[in-house]
Parts: sequence; structure tokens; C-alpha cells
Amino acid sequence: MTVELYFFQPLGTNSGRVYLTLLEKGVDFVERELKGTEFEHLKPAYLAVNPKGQVPTLVHDGRVLTEGMNINEYIDEAFDGPALRPADPRERWRMRVWCRYADTDLGRCLMMINWNRIVPTFVGDRSLEEVEAILQTVPDPDRRRSWLAAYKQTTPPEAIEESRRRAAEGAQRVEANMRQRPWVAGGAYSLADIDLLNFCGFMSAWMPELVNDKDTPATMAWQARVNERPAVKAMRAKTNRNFTRPPAPQQATA
Amino acid sequence: MLELYHWEPNAAAARVLITLKEKGVQFQSRYVDVLRFEQHEPAFLELNETGETPVLVRDGEAFTESSFICEYLDEAFPGAALMPEAPYDRWKARNWQKYVDDHLAAAVSALAWRAYGEAQMQGRNGAEAAVARIPFRPRRDEWTQALKGYPDDQLAKDRGRVEMTLGLVEAELEASDWLAGPSFSLADIAIFAFMNYLPRLTPDLVSAAPRTLAWLQRVSARPAVKAALALARTPDPYAVVAPGPEHIRWG
Repeated sequence: MTVELYFFQPLGTNSGRVYLTLLEKGVDFVERELKGTEFEHLKPAYLAVNPKGQVPTLVHDGRVLTEGMNINEYIDEAFDGPALRPADPRERWRMRVWCRYADTDLGRCLMMINWNRIVPTFVGDRSLEEVEAILQTVPDPDRRRSWLAAYKQTTPPEAIEESRRRAAEGAQRVEANMRQRPWVAGGAYSLADIDLLNFCGFMSAWMPELVNDKDTPATMAWQARVNERPAVKAMRAKTNRNFTRPPAPQQATA
Repeated sequence: MLELYHWEPNAAAARVLITLKEKGVQFQSRYVDVLRFEQHEPAFLELNETGETPVLVRDGEAFTESSFICEYLDEAFPGAALMPEAPYDRWKARNWQKYVDDHLAAAVSALAWRAYGEAQMQGRNGAEAAVARIPFRPRRDEWTQALKGYPDDQLAKDRGRVEMTLGLVEAELEASDWLAGPSFSLADIAIFAFMNYLPRLTPDLVSAAPRTLAWLQRVSARPAVKAALALARTPDPYAVVAPGPEHIRWG
């Protein structure tokens, strides 16, 4: 049996959710890190694995699996190890709703708001034209458009404002849920905790005006509990935050 | 008690109604007239603050998001299994459902709105005022856009998305009669619920997809599908439409 995971550093969002699920489940896997700064996910070697150019991809005995949330349910169903989904169908529904809320709604708003902090790392010393040419090769048309809008910073200011509004609302929505139950979906740690941590866990550090001990104490307490988990600690130990692009070779004329 | 708040058996409502009928689960139908904006009245917003149908209510607890309602029904009730058995096929079924939620639903809804929306809104005075009262802002924006009409360049992209989806479905049906593994599943229900609009919306694209056409007929012939579509209150549930989910903004 072979399991390979193609992912980006630093571990978080979509790459982090699958990486952490494999650790929680105790699955041995081969790490295939893709350098986002080199746009390795758009190069032929990776497109041969996943023609959509999306990250992460899990390859299990030659079968290619995409879409983080669905990969995670697959991992829970296909491998031995502790159950990462509630047995009760109602809680399982709640888990799925929260997984999707974390990635599609709140997570996207956070990315849009914080994009200006993320872009420079990927652009490095390239010109915008150079980046644009690379992004024209994103296979899916919707994704291509959104990546281009993000890199060219042509996202309309009102869309960013709307994201801020939703992020503030989201912080309160998460807090209301964490006041009702110890874990996101109910009585036990599940894929929903994994997703909320990976997509929104950085809010307390990056957006402390929204997530802090005073305004969202239940969320902070939950996060502290999650951070104590051995698998979460193991992922943090594997997280590389120093991944700036190496400088381009100097031109002779420079 | 199990209740389903739903509009006409098309799109997302069709997904849940077909699933209920396939499972043979008894339920109370609670019809919500979306074109009269009943889904934005306080009683309904109590069930779902976003003002979106369908909503399943079991013993007072509300369940939203049609993909997850369908999987909930499959897991919580006896009856024919609507998720494949093998983990890989189950993953496939979920990916089709996600594809519908992320891409196909919005694309088909916009194209259908262009085809039917204007006519169906005629004589409904006060639509703008009703839309202005929608409390959940993304829904309000989506309706506002629909009432204005979708721009041609967006509809061209949506048509491209439909064409792309037909290609994916054609490829999948080459090896199997169904979209996720050897038997009929929630994947077939999800894709059918939206693709059933296409023979009339994009006949040129569908006629170039013979396997999809045969599959649409196979699904339509199922007794549960017929029973679900027969719950329509309008003459033809696939000749009316409500705005779909908001288009993915990026990522």
C-alpha cells in the first residue's frame, strides 16, 4: 500500500486539513511537497498527476483523489485508526456543514482579506506580467479568473469589504457554536475541528480584533484544546514558515 | 415528524425530493412559493437564516444544504442505499455533489433564469421591494442580480461550464451506466436535478452528448424520480427557476 500526499507549505488551509487528517488517522504517507513559490502545481510533472492543478492531491495505490473535504472523508473510510467523523447522522450532517463553512465561506473571506499579506511571497521578484502568464495556465476557468483577480489585486474593494463583514459575522458564528458543544460537530473531535483549525485558526493571530479572549472565549478555549493534540503538534513541527523564493540570478548588466 | 420545506421539484429541491422518494421515506411536504418570496418571511427564516430552500425538519431540528441533507437521509433512514459501497466510489459520489454545489448549480440557474426568469416575474409587483428586504446579504445580492438580468459575458462562461460538465459526464458514462460506481447514487441525483434543464436550455450541447442524453432518460424513467417530479404545482417544474447559489468568487 502506498499513500502519497502532494501539498503546499506552510501547512494550513487545504493542504493542512488533509495532512492533519493523515496524522490523526495514523496513516503512513510519502510527502510530496510542491513549491508554491515556483508554481510547481502548474508544471507538467504535477499536471500529469492532477490535471486540474489543484492542491492537495492524495494518491492511494495509484488512485488519484482531489478536493480536500472529500479526501478527508475518504481517509476516514478507507483506513484503520480512530474515527474522525461522528457516528450519529445528525452530528455528521453538522460536521459537513461546518467543514464547508470553513473552506468555502469563512476560509475564502479570510484569504481574500489577507491576500495582500500572502501575494508578495509568491510573486517574489517576478514581474506581474510574468505571474499573469503563469496563471493563464490554470486549467479550470473559474479558478484561473479568481487567481488572476487575486494576483492583479483587481478584486473590487466592495467585495473585500463584504468579506470583512462576513469574517466578523463568522467569528461570532463560530463562538456561538463553541459555546454549545465541546467540539465543532458535537461530543467528539472530528474533521470539522480539523477544518476550522486549518482555515480559520490563524484568525486569533492575524485578526485579533475578531478572535480574542474577551470576545470569543469559547473559541480560544477550543483552540487551546486542539493545539494540545499530538497530531496538531506534529503538524506544527513539520510546518515550514520560511519559504521565501530564492533570489533570481543577477543579470550581467545589473 | 419529518417535514420538507421546498419549492417546485427542480434543482436543489429535486435533489432532496428524489432522495426521499428513492429511500421510500414518508414526509410532510411544506410548499414554499419562492417566487412570492415566502422563503424570506420570518417563519421561514427561523428555519434557515439564509432564506434558502429546501430545508428538512426532523422533530423540530432544521437541516440545510441539499448535498448534506441527502447524505443525512441516506445515513439516517433505512431503504435503498444511495451512496456506493467502496470508499473510492463514495469519494467520487461526493465529488460530483460538490461539483454541482460549486459550479453547475449557479451556471444552470443563471442560464435558466435568462430563459424563464423574465417571463415568470411578469405581473409580480413589488419584486424589488421584496428583494430589498432579504436579510442575508449574499442572497439579496444574488436576487438583485437576477432581477437586473445576468450579463451576457457571464452567461457565456456559464454555457462554457455546462459544456465542460457534459464532457465530464460523457467520459464517466463511457465505463458505467451511473456516475459513481456500479449503481445509481446521490451523484446521479445531484447532476440530474440540474442537468434536466439542459435539453431545453442548451439543446445543441446536449445533442452532442449522446451518453448523457441516454442517462437523463434512464434517470427520468425511475419511479421515484417520476413521483418526485409529479409533486409539481406548476405545469412544468423545469420551466420555472429561482436564482442559484452565488458564483464562486475565487479560490
